[in-house]
Amino acid sequence: MIADAPVIDFHGHVGNWEPIGMLDDPLRMLHAMDRAGVDRACVFNIFHPEGRRGNDSTAAFVAQHPDRFIGFAYVSPMMPGTIEPELTRAIDELGLQAIKIYPPYTTYALDHEAWHPIFAFAEERGLTVISHTDNGELSEPRKFGAAAARFSGARFVAGHSGNVEPFRTQAIEMAQAHENFYLETCSTFRQPGVLEKLVAGAGADRVLFGSDQPLMDPRVQLGKIITADLTDSEKRLVIGGNAQRMLNLI
Amino acid sequence: MPTELNFRCEIPVIDANVGVGHRHDRPSPFADAPALLAQMDRHGVDQALVYHVQGEQVSALDGNDALHEWVAAGAGRLQPAWMASLGPESLQQLQQLHADRLVRAVRLHDTMSLPTPLTSWIYGDLLEWLQQEGIPLWISLADNDPVELADTLADFRALRTVIVGAHYVHAQLVAPLMKHLPRSCLELSRFETPGAIEDLVTQIGARRLLYGSFCPRYAMGPILWALHRQQIDAAQLQRILDGNTRELLGLETEVFS
Repeated sequence: MIADAPVIDFHGHVGNWEPIGMLDDPLRMLHAMDRAGVDRACVFNIFHPEGRRGNDSTAAFVAQHPDRFIGFAYVSPMMPGTIEPELTRAIDELGLQAIKIYPPYTTYALDHEAWHPIFAFAEERGLTVISHTDNGELSEPRKFGAAAARFSGARFVAGHSGNVEPFRTQAIEMAQAHENFYLETCSTFRQPGVLEKLVAGAGADRVLFGSDQPLMDPRVQLGKIITADLTDSEKRLVIGGNAQRMLNLI
Repeated sequence: MPTELNFRCEIPVIDANVGVGHRHDRPSPFADAPALLAQMDRHGVDQALVYHVQGEQVSALDGNDALHEWVAAGAGRLQPAWMASLGPESLQQLQQLHADRLVRAVRLHDTMSLPTPLTSWIYGDLLEWLQQEGIPLWISLADNDPVELADTLADFRALRTVIVGAHYVHAQLVAPLMKHLPRSCLELSRFETPGAIEDLVTQIGARRLLYGSFCPRYAMGPILWALHRQQIDAAQLQRILDGNTRELLGLETEVFS
Protein backbone atom coordinates (compact mmCIF):
# COMPACT_ATOMS: atom_id res chain seq x y z
CA MET A 1 0.00 0.00 0.00
CA ILE A 2 1.09 3.52 -0.63
CA ALA A 3 -0.81 6.19 1.28
CA ASP A 4 -3.57 3.61 1.86
CA ALA A 5 -3.84 2.94 -1.88
CA PRO A 6 -3.42 -0.62 -3.14
CA VAL A 7 -0.46 -1.19 -5.44
CA ILE A 8 -0.80 -3.91 -8.08
CA ASP A 9 1.94 -4.68 -10.57
CA PHE A 10 0.29 -5.78 -13.81
CA HIS A 11 3.39 -7.11 -15.60
CA GLY A 12 5.74 -9.74 -14.18
CA HIS A 13 7.38 -12.95 -15.27
CA VAL A 14 7.85 -16.49 -14.09
CA GLY A 15 10.73 -18.44 -15.63
CA ASN A 16 14.44 -17.88 -15.80
CA TRP A 17 16.57 -16.09 -18.37
CA GLU A 18 19.84 -16.13 -16.52
CA PRO A 19 22.16 -14.65 -19.22
CA ILE A 20 20.51 -11.29 -18.47
CA GLY A 21 20.04 -11.92 -14.79
CA MET A 22 16.32 -12.68 -14.85
CA LEU A 23 15.64 -15.20 -12.09
CA ASP A 24 12.17 -15.88 -10.73
CA ASP A 25 13.12 -16.16 -7.07
CA PRO A 26 9.88 -15.28 -5.28
CA LEU A 27 11.65 -14.14 -2.11
CA ARG A 28 13.83 -11.77 -4.07
CA MET A 29 10.79 -10.43 -5.91
CA LEU A 30 8.85 -10.06 -2.66
CA HIS A 31 11.73 -8.17 -1.09
CA ALA A 32 11.69 -5.62 -3.91
CA MET A 33 7.88 -5.45 -3.79
CA ASP A 34 7.89 -4.91 -0.03
CA ARG A 35 10.47 -2.17 -0.23
CA ALA A 36 8.46 -0.47 -2.97
CA GLY A 37 5.06 -0.93 -1.36
CA VAL A 38 3.68 -3.29 -4.02
CA ASP A 39 0.88 -5.46 -2.64
CA ARG A 40 0.38 -7.92 -5.48
CA ALA A 41 2.04 -8.74 -8.79
CA CYS A 42 0.63 -10.40 -11.91
CA VAL A 43 2.97 -13.00 -13.38
CA PHE A 44 3.10 -15.22 -16.47
CA ASN A 45 5.55 -17.54 -18.21
CA ILE A 46 6.10 -16.81 -21.92
CA PHE A 47 8.86 -19.30 -22.61
CA HIS A 48 6.80 -22.38 -23.54
CA PRO A 49 4.71 -22.13 -26.72
CA GLU A 50 2.49 -25.06 -25.86
CA GLY A 51 1.43 -23.20 -22.73
CA ARG A 52 1.16 -26.17 -20.41
CA ARG A 53 4.65 -26.23 -18.94
CA GLY A 54 4.77 -22.48 -18.46
CA ASN A 55 1.27 -22.23 -17.05
CA ASP A 56 1.98 -25.03 -14.61
CA SER A 57 5.07 -23.18 -13.44
CA THR A 58 3.06 -19.99 -13.07
CA ALA A 59 0.41 -21.75 -11.00
CA ALA A 60 3.08 -23.36 -8.80
CA PHE A 61 4.79 -20.01 -8.34
CA VAL A 62 1.54 -18.30 -7.34
CA ALA A 63 0.66 -21.15 -4.98
CA GLN A 64 3.71 -20.33 -2.86
CA HIS A 65 2.36 -16.84 -2.10
CA PRO A 66 -1.25 -16.69 -3.27
CA ASP A 67 -1.87 -13.48 -1.37
CA ARG A 68 0.90 -11.69 -3.30
CA PHE A 69 0.92 -13.10 -6.84
CA ILE A 70 -1.77 -13.40 -9.50
CA GLY A 71 -1.20 -15.79 -12.40
CA PHE A 72 -1.98 -15.14 -16.05
CA ALA A 73 -2.14 -17.84 -18.75
CA TYR A 74 0.08 -17.95 -21.80
CA VAL A 75 -0.59 -19.59 -25.15
CA SER A 76 0.88 -19.12 -28.62
CA PRO A 77 -0.61 -19.20 -32.12
CA MET A 78 2.51 -21.10 -33.15
CA MET A 79 0.75 -24.15 -31.69
CA PRO A 80 -2.88 -23.43 -32.57
CA GLY A 81 -4.19 -26.82 -31.51
CA THR A 82 -3.29 -26.15 -27.91
CA ILE A 83 -4.94 -22.74 -27.57
CA GLU A 84 -8.48 -23.55 -26.52
CA PRO A 85 -7.81 -26.65 -24.42
CA GLU A 86 -4.87 -25.05 -22.66
CA LEU A 87 -6.68 -21.79 -21.97
CA THR A 88 -9.64 -23.76 -20.63
CA ARG A 89 -7.35 -25.77 -18.37
CA ALA A 90 -5.32 -22.76 -17.25
CA ILE A 91 -8.35 -20.66 -16.38
CA ASP A 92 -10.71 -23.32 -15.04
CA GLU A 93 -8.30 -25.72 -13.37
CA LEU A 94 -5.21 -23.65 -12.54
CA GLY A 95 -7.15 -20.53 -11.61
CA LEU A 96 -5.15 -18.16 -13.80
CA GLN A 97 -7.02 -14.91 -14.23
CA ALA A 98 -6.06 -13.28 -17.52
CA ILE A 99 -4.12 -14.01 -20.70
CA LYS A 100 -0.66 -12.91 -21.76
CA ILE A 101 0.54 -13.03 -25.38
CA TYR A 102 3.98 -12.27 -26.82
CA PRO A 103 4.15 -11.61 -30.58
CA PRO A 104 8.00 -11.55 -30.84
CA TYR A 105 7.99 -15.28 -30.12
CA THR A 106 5.66 -15.89 -33.07
CA THR A 107 5.54 -15.12 -36.78
CA TYR A 108 2.15 -13.40 -36.58
CA ALA A 109 1.40 -9.71 -36.30
CA LEU A 110 -1.23 -8.82 -33.72
CA ASP A 111 -3.87 -8.18 -36.39
CA HIS A 112 -3.41 -11.63 -37.93
CA GLU A 113 -6.33 -14.01 -37.60
CA ALA A 114 -4.04 -16.59 -35.99
CA TRP A 115 -4.62 -14.70 -32.73
CA HIS A 116 -8.41 -14.76 -33.04
CA PRO A 117 -9.02 -17.97 -31.09
CA ILE A 118 -7.27 -16.40 -28.10
CA PHE A 119 -9.22 -13.16 -28.39
CA ALA A 120 -12.50 -15.05 -28.90
CA PHE A 121 -11.83 -17.07 -25.77
CA ALA A 122 -11.17 -13.89 -23.82
CA GLU A 123 -14.32 -12.30 -25.14
CA GLU A 124 -16.45 -15.32 -24.29
CA ARG A 125 -15.09 -15.34 -20.73
CA GLY A 126 -14.89 -11.57 -20.28
CA LEU A 127 -11.13 -11.77 -19.69
CA THR A 128 -8.25 -9.36 -20.11
CA VAL A 129 -5.48 -9.96 -22.66
CA ILE A 130 -2.13 -8.27 -22.15
CA SER A 131 0.29 -8.22 -25.06
CA HIS A 132 3.82 -7.03 -25.47
CA THR A 133 3.73 -3.96 -27.73
CA ASP A 134 6.63 -2.05 -29.23
CA ASN A 135 8.07 -0.78 -32.50
CA GLY A 136 8.33 -4.25 -34.04
CA GLU A 137 6.22 -5.12 -37.04
CA LEU A 138 4.46 -7.88 -35.13
CA SER A 139 3.73 -5.86 -32.00
CA GLU A 140 2.50 -2.46 -33.12
CA PRO A 141 -0.22 -1.06 -30.86
CA ARG A 142 -2.50 -0.22 -33.80
CA LYS A 143 -2.62 -3.91 -34.70
CA PHE A 144 -3.62 -4.75 -31.14
CA GLY A 145 -6.20 -1.99 -31.37
CA ALA A 146 -7.76 -3.80 -34.30
CA ALA A 147 -8.37 -6.74 -31.98
CA ALA A 148 -9.95 -4.45 -29.39
CA ALA A 149 -12.36 -3.19 -32.01
CA ARG A 150 -13.33 -6.65 -33.20
CA PHE A 151 -13.56 -8.38 -29.81
CA SER A 152 -15.32 -5.74 -27.78
CA GLY A 153 -16.24 -8.13 -24.98
CA ALA A 154 -12.62 -8.56 -23.92
CA ARG A 155 -10.18 -6.02 -22.46
CA PHE A 156 -6.85 -5.41 -24.15
CA VAL A 157 -3.77 -4.11 -22.33
CA ALA A 158 -0.83 -2.79 -24.33
CA GLY A 159 2.22 -3.91 -22.37
CA HIS A 160 4.94 -1.21 -22.42
CA SER A 161 2.43 1.16 -24.07
CA GLY A 162 4.28 0.81 -27.38
CA ASN A 163 7.61 1.35 -25.59
CA VAL A 164 9.01 4.10 -27.84
CA GLU A 165 7.74 6.90 -30.03
CA PRO A 166 5.85 7.06 -32.32
CA PHE A 167 4.38 3.79 -31.09
CA ARG A 168 3.65 5.23 -27.65
CA THR A 169 1.48 7.85 -29.31
CA GLN A 170 -0.10 5.11 -31.38
CA ALA A 171 -0.98 3.20 -28.20
CA ILE A 172 -2.61 6.31 -26.76
CA GLU A 173 -4.62 6.71 -29.96
CA MET A 174 -5.85 3.15 -29.62
CA ALA A 175 -6.98 3.84 -26.06
CA GLN A 176 -8.82 6.92 -27.29
CA ALA A 177 -10.48 4.92 -30.05
CA HIS A 178 -11.45 1.82 -28.05
CA GLU A 179 -12.88 1.91 -24.54
CA ASN A 180 -11.64 -1.64 -23.89
CA PHE A 181 -8.00 -0.72 -24.62
CA TYR A 182 -5.59 0.01 -21.74
CA LEU A 183 -1.96 1.05 -21.40
CA GLU A 184 0.62 -0.56 -19.13
CA THR A 185 3.70 1.37 -18.02
CA CYS A 186 6.79 -0.83 -17.72
CA SER A 187 9.68 -0.02 -20.00
CA THR A 188 13.43 0.33 -19.97
CA PHE A 189 12.79 3.74 -21.53
CA ARG A 190 12.04 6.36 -18.89
CA GLN A 191 12.03 9.74 -20.58
CA PRO A 192 10.70 12.68 -18.57
CA GLY A 193 7.00 13.20 -19.10
CA VAL A 194 6.04 9.74 -20.38
CA LEU A 195 3.60 8.95 -17.57
CA GLU A 196 2.07 12.39 -17.84
CA LYS A 197 1.56 11.87 -21.57
CA LEU A 198 -0.08 8.47 -21.12
CA VAL A 199 -2.49 9.78 -18.50
CA ALA A 200 -3.29 12.96 -20.39
CA GLY A 201 -3.92 11.02 -23.58
CA ALA A 202 -5.74 7.93 -22.41
CA GLY A 203 -7.13 9.02 -19.04
CA ALA A 204 -5.92 7.89 -15.63
CA ASP A 205 -8.57 5.17 -15.57
CA ARG A 206 -6.88 3.42 -18.51
CA VAL A 207 -3.27 3.31 -17.38
CA LEU A 208 -1.86 0.42 -15.34
CA PHE A 209 1.38 0.20 -13.40
CA GLY A 210 3.64 -2.66 -14.47
CA SER A 211 7.28 -3.42 -13.68
CA ASP A 212 8.42 -6.35 -15.85
CA GLN A 213 9.96 -7.93 -12.76
CA PRO A 214 12.20 -9.88 -12.34
CA LEU A 215 13.75 -8.35 -15.44
CA MET A 216 13.41 -4.93 -13.88
CA ASP A 217 13.05 -3.77 -10.31
CA PRO A 218 9.56 -2.62 -9.33
CA ARG A 219 11.17 0.10 -7.22
CA VAL A 220 12.43 1.90 -10.31
CA GLN A 221 9.30 1.28 -12.36
CA LEU A 222 6.96 2.41 -9.58
CA GLY A 223 9.24 5.41 -9.08
CA LYS A 224 8.21 6.57 -12.55
CA ILE A 225 4.67 7.05 -11.27
CA ILE A 226 5.47 8.38 -7.80
CA THR A 227 7.76 11.07 -9.25
CA ALA A 228 5.50 11.93 -12.20
CA ASP A 229 3.60 15.20 -12.34
CA LEU A 230 0.17 13.62 -11.73
CA THR A 231 -2.50 14.26 -9.13
CA ASP A 232 -2.81 11.92 -6.17
CA SER A 233 -6.14 10.61 -7.46
CA GLU A 234 -4.58 9.84 -10.86
CA LYS A 235 -1.70 8.03 -9.18
CA ARG A 236 -4.08 5.95 -7.06
CA LEU A 237 -5.80 4.68 -10.19
CA VAL A 238 -2.57 3.95 -12.05
CA ILE A 239 -0.70 2.18 -9.25
CA GLY A 240 -3.49 -0.22 -8.44
CA GLY A 241 -7.03 1.10 -8.59
CA ASN A 242 -7.52 0.19 -12.22
CA ALA A 243 -6.00 -3.26 -11.86
CA GLN A 244 -8.10 -3.92 -8.78
CA ARG A 245 -11.22 -3.17 -10.80
CA MET A 246 -10.19 -5.16 -13.88
CA LEU A 247 -9.22 -8.24 -11.89
CA ASN A 248 -12.31 -8.04 -9.68
CA LEU A 249 -10.19 -7.70 -6.55
CA ILE A 250 -12.47 -5.19 -4.86
CA MET B 1 7.12 0.65 5.07
CA PRO B 2 5.34 4.01 5.11
CA THR B 3 5.57 6.04 1.96
CA GLU B 4 3.69 8.70 0.07
CA LEU B 5 2.34 9.28 -3.37
CA ASN B 6 4.78 12.11 -4.01
CA PHE B 7 8.51 12.40 -3.59
CA ARG B 8 11.18 15.05 -3.63
CA CYS B 9 14.65 14.28 -2.32
CA GLU B 10 15.28 16.09 0.96
CA ILE B 11 18.93 15.20 1.46
CA PRO B 12 21.91 16.46 -0.55
CA VAL B 13 22.19 14.88 -3.96
CA ILE B 14 24.37 15.27 -7.03
CA ASP B 15 23.19 13.76 -10.30
CA ALA B 16 26.33 12.23 -11.80
CA ASN B 17 24.99 11.69 -15.31
CA VAL B 18 23.16 14.47 -17.15
CA GLY B 19 23.45 15.28 -20.83
CA VAL B 20 22.74 18.83 -21.96
CA GLY B 21 21.99 20.40 -25.29
CA HIS B 22 20.33 19.08 -28.40
CA ARG B 23 22.00 16.07 -30.03
CA HIS B 24 22.11 15.95 -33.83
CA ASP B 25 19.40 13.29 -33.85
CA ARG B 26 17.68 13.92 -30.51
CA PRO B 27 16.41 17.32 -29.36
CA SER B 28 16.34 17.76 -25.61
CA PRO B 29 13.20 18.68 -23.66
CA PHE B 30 15.39 21.04 -21.61
CA ALA B 31 16.51 23.79 -23.95
CA ASP B 32 18.66 25.76 -21.56
CA ALA B 33 20.16 25.80 -18.09
CA PRO B 34 17.14 27.39 -16.35
CA ALA B 35 14.90 24.63 -17.69
CA LEU B 36 17.29 21.96 -16.44
CA LEU B 37 17.61 23.68 -13.06
CA ALA B 38 13.82 23.74 -12.76
CA GLN B 39 13.74 19.99 -13.39
CA MET B 40 16.44 19.46 -10.77
CA ASP B 41 14.47 21.56 -8.29
CA ARG B 42 11.35 19.49 -8.89
CA HIS B 43 13.18 16.34 -7.80
CA GLY B 44 15.36 17.93 -5.12
CA VAL B 45 18.63 17.54 -7.01
CA ASP B 46 21.18 20.10 -5.82
CA GLN B 47 23.89 19.74 -8.44
CA ALA B 48 24.50 17.85 -11.66
CA LEU B 49 27.55 16.71 -13.53
CA VAL B 50 26.74 17.68 -17.11
CA TYR B 51 28.25 16.80 -20.47
CA HIS B 52 27.18 18.10 -23.85
CA VAL B 53 25.51 15.39 -25.93
CA GLN B 54 27.10 16.63 -29.17
CA GLY B 55 30.21 14.96 -27.84
CA GLU B 56 28.66 11.50 -27.69
CA GLN B 57 28.91 10.67 -31.39
CA VAL B 58 29.72 13.78 -33.43
CA SER B 59 32.15 16.26 -31.88
CA ALA B 60 33.64 16.52 -28.42
CA LEU B 61 35.34 19.72 -29.55
CA ASP B 62 32.07 21.44 -30.42
CA GLY B 63 30.21 19.92 -27.50
CA ASN B 64 32.77 21.20 -25.04
CA ASP B 65 32.64 24.65 -26.60
CA ALA B 66 28.86 24.64 -26.11
CA LEU B 67 29.14 23.34 -22.56
CA HIS B 68 30.69 26.58 -21.32
CA GLU B 69 27.41 28.48 -21.62
CA TRP B 70 25.52 25.81 -19.67
CA VAL B 71 28.00 25.92 -16.81
CA ALA B 72 28.00 29.72 -16.84
CA ALA B 73 24.21 29.80 -16.62
CA GLY B 74 24.03 27.04 -14.05
CA ALA B 75 24.10 29.17 -10.92
CA GLY B 76 27.03 27.14 -9.65
CA ARG B 77 24.95 23.94 -9.72
CA LEU B 78 26.20 22.45 -13.01
CA GLN B 79 29.64 20.85 -12.94
CA PRO B 80 31.22 20.15 -16.32
CA ALA B 81 32.21 16.72 -17.57
CA TRP B 82 34.26 17.50 -20.66
CA MET B 83 33.97 15.08 -23.53
CA ALA B 84 36.98 13.28 -25.04
CA SER B 85 37.11 11.83 -28.52
CA LEU B 86 39.73 10.74 -31.01
CA GLY B 87 42.68 12.70 -32.24
CA PRO B 88 45.27 15.08 -30.86
CA GLU B 89 42.89 18.04 -31.09
CA SER B 90 40.59 16.56 -28.47
CA LEU B 91 43.41 15.91 -26.03
CA GLN B 92 44.83 19.38 -26.67
CA GLN B 93 41.45 20.94 -25.90
CA LEU B 94 41.23 19.01 -22.64
CA GLN B 95 44.76 19.97 -21.69
CA GLN B 96 43.98 23.64 -22.27
CA LEU B 97 40.82 23.38 -20.19
CA HIS B 98 42.87 21.72 -17.48
CA ALA B 99 45.46 24.48 -17.66
CA ASP B 100 42.57 26.90 -17.13
CA ARG B 101 41.65 24.88 -14.01
CA LEU B 102 38.25 23.90 -15.37
CA VAL B 103 38.52 20.10 -15.43
CA ARG B 104 37.09 17.92 -12.68
CA ALA B 105 35.88 15.06 -14.89
CA VAL B 106 36.19 13.80 -18.47
CA ARG B 107 33.75 11.58 -20.31
CA LEU B 108 34.70 9.35 -23.23
CA HIS B 109 32.69 9.48 -26.45
CA ASP B 110 30.77 6.59 -27.97
CA THR B 111 33.41 4.32 -29.49
CA MET B 112 30.87 1.88 -30.88
CA SER B 113 29.16 4.31 -33.27
CA LEU B 114 32.30 4.29 -35.44
CA PRO B 115 34.89 1.53 -35.97
CA THR B 116 37.29 2.94 -33.40
CA PRO B 117 37.97 0.24 -30.83
CA LEU B 118 38.73 1.31 -27.28
CA THR B 119 42.35 0.15 -27.25
CA SER B 120 45.52 1.48 -25.66
CA TRP B 121 47.11 2.08 -29.06
CA ILE B 122 44.28 4.48 -29.94
CA TYR B 123 43.29 5.99 -26.58
CA GLY B 124 46.51 5.43 -24.62
CA ASP B 125 47.69 9.05 -24.71
CA LEU B 126 44.36 10.28 -23.33
CA LEU B 127 44.16 7.61 -20.64
CA GLU B 128 47.78 8.10 -19.61
CA TRP B 129 47.25 11.85 -19.28
CA LEU B 130 44.06 11.45 -17.23
CA GLN B 131 45.81 8.99 -14.96
CA GLN B 132 48.80 11.28 -14.54
CA GLU B 133 46.65 14.30 -13.72
CA GLY B 134 44.31 12.39 -11.41
CA ILE B 135 41.24 13.23 -13.48
CA PRO B 136 38.40 10.70 -13.27
CA LEU B 137 36.98 9.30 -16.52
CA TRP B 138 33.24 8.69 -17.05
CA ILE B 139 32.73 5.92 -19.61
CA SER B 140 29.56 4.29 -20.89
CA LEU B 141 29.17 0.54 -20.82
CA ALA B 142 26.37 0.88 -23.37
CA ASP B 143 28.50 2.89 -25.80
CA ASN B 144 31.72 0.90 -25.54
CA ASP B 145 32.54 -2.74 -26.05
CA PRO B 146 32.67 -4.32 -22.57
CA VAL B 147 35.70 -6.48 -23.38
CA GLU B 148 37.67 -3.55 -24.81
CA LEU B 149 36.63 -1.41 -21.87
CA ALA B 150 37.72 -3.99 -19.32
CA ASP B 151 41.00 -4.89 -21.00
CA THR B 152 42.07 -1.36 -21.85
CA LEU B 153 41.22 0.28 -18.54
CA ALA B 154 43.02 -2.54 -16.71
CA ASP B 155 46.25 -1.21 -18.25
CA PHE B 156 45.79 2.08 -16.36
CA ARG B 157 45.57 0.86 -12.80
CA ALA B 158 45.72 4.26 -11.15
CA LEU B 159 43.03 5.81 -13.37
CA ARG B 160 39.76 6.41 -11.56
CA THR B 161 36.78 5.57 -13.73
CA VAL B 162 33.01 5.78 -13.45
CA ILE B 163 31.12 3.20 -15.49
CA VAL B 164 27.78 4.59 -16.65
CA GLY B 165 24.92 3.14 -18.67
CA ALA B 166 24.95 -0.42 -17.35
CA HIS B 167 21.48 -1.89 -17.85
CA TYR B 168 19.71 -5.20 -17.78
CA VAL B 169 21.68 -6.80 -20.59
CA HIS B 170 24.80 -6.17 -18.51
CA ALA B 171 23.30 -7.66 -15.34
CA GLN B 172 25.64 -10.62 -15.18
CA LEU B 173 28.84 -8.84 -16.11
CA VAL B 174 28.71 -5.78 -13.85
CA ALA B 175 29.93 -7.45 -10.64
CA PRO B 176 32.86 -9.24 -12.35
CA LEU B 177 33.73 -6.02 -14.17
CA MET B 178 33.81 -4.04 -10.94
CA LYS B 179 36.10 -6.64 -9.40
CA HIS B 180 38.31 -6.57 -12.50
CA LEU B 181 38.60 -2.76 -12.27
CA PRO B 182 39.03 -2.03 -8.56
CA ARG B 183 39.45 1.74 -9.10
CA SER B 184 36.12 2.00 -10.88
CA CYS B 185 32.75 3.20 -9.62
CA LEU B 186 29.33 2.40 -11.08
CA GLU B 187 26.72 5.01 -11.93
CA LEU B 188 23.25 3.54 -11.39
CA SER B 189 20.78 5.33 -13.70
CA ARG B 190 19.86 2.31 -15.81
CA PHE B 191 20.84 -0.52 -13.48
CA GLU B 192 17.52 -1.97 -12.38
CA THR B 193 17.80 -5.72 -12.08
CA PRO B 194 15.83 -6.53 -8.89
CA GLY B 195 18.06 -6.51 -5.85
CA ALA B 196 21.21 -5.80 -7.87
CA ILE B 197 22.03 -2.51 -6.15
CA GLU B 198 21.74 -4.08 -2.69
CA ASP B 199 23.94 -6.93 -3.91
CA LEU B 200 26.58 -4.49 -5.11
CA VAL B 201 26.55 -2.62 -1.81
CA THR B 202 27.39 -5.94 -0.17
CA GLN B 203 29.88 -7.07 -2.81
CA ILE B 204 31.87 -3.94 -3.57
CA GLY B 205 30.57 -1.36 -1.09
CA ALA B 206 28.52 1.82 -1.30
CA ARG B 207 31.72 3.82 -1.81
CA ARG B 208 31.81 2.65 -5.42
CA LEU B 209 28.23 3.47 -6.40
CA LEU B 210 26.85 6.79 -7.65
CA TYR B 211 23.38 8.17 -8.28
CA GLY B 212 22.90 9.39 -11.83
CA SER B 213 19.77 9.78 -13.89
CA PHE B 214 20.89 9.78 -17.56
CA CYS B 215 18.60 12.78 -17.97
CA PRO B 216 17.15 13.81 -20.40
CA ARG B 217 16.90 10.33 -21.89
CA TYR B 218 15.69 9.12 -18.50
CA ALA B 219 13.73 11.08 -15.92
CA MET B 220 15.59 12.17 -12.79
CA GLY B 221 13.06 10.92 -10.28
CA PRO B 222 12.53 7.15 -10.67
CA ILE B 223 15.99 5.87 -9.79
CA LEU B 224 16.27 8.52 -7.07
CA TRP B 225 13.05 7.27 -5.48
CA ALA B 226 14.19 3.66 -5.96
CA LEU B 227 17.47 4.36 -4.16
CA HIS B 228 15.47 5.55 -1.16
CA ARG B 229 13.68 2.17 -1.17
CA GLN B 230 16.88 0.08 -0.98
CA GLN B 231 17.70 -1.87 2.15
CA ILE B 232 20.80 0.16 2.89
CA ASP B 233 21.61 2.47 5.78
CA ALA B 234 21.45 6.26 5.73
CA ALA B 235 25.21 6.67 5.48
CA GLN B 236 25.39 4.35 2.48
CA LEU B 237 22.53 6.18 0.80
CA GLN B 238 24.22 9.52 1.38
CA ARG B 239 27.43 8.24 -0.14
CA ILE B 240 25.60 7.05 -3.24
CA LEU B 241 23.56 10.20 -3.66
CA ASP B 242 26.24 12.76 -2.96
CA GLY B 243 29.42 11.83 -1.13
CA ASN B 244 31.13 9.64 -3.70
CA THR B 245 30.58 12.04 -6.58
CA ARG B 246 31.68 14.93 -4.40
CA GLU B 247 34.93 13.09 -3.65
CA LEU B 248 35.56 12.14 -7.26
CA LEU B 249 35.05 15.70 -8.43
CA GLY B 250 37.07 17.19 -5.60
CA LEU B 251 34.18 19.37 -4.49
CA GLU B 252 34.26 20.92 -1.09
CA THR B 253 32.53 18.72 1.43
CA GLU B 254 29.03 19.90 2.21
CA VAL B 255 28.49 20.83 5.84
CA PHE B 256 25.11 19.80 7.17
CA SER B 257 23.47 20.87 10.35
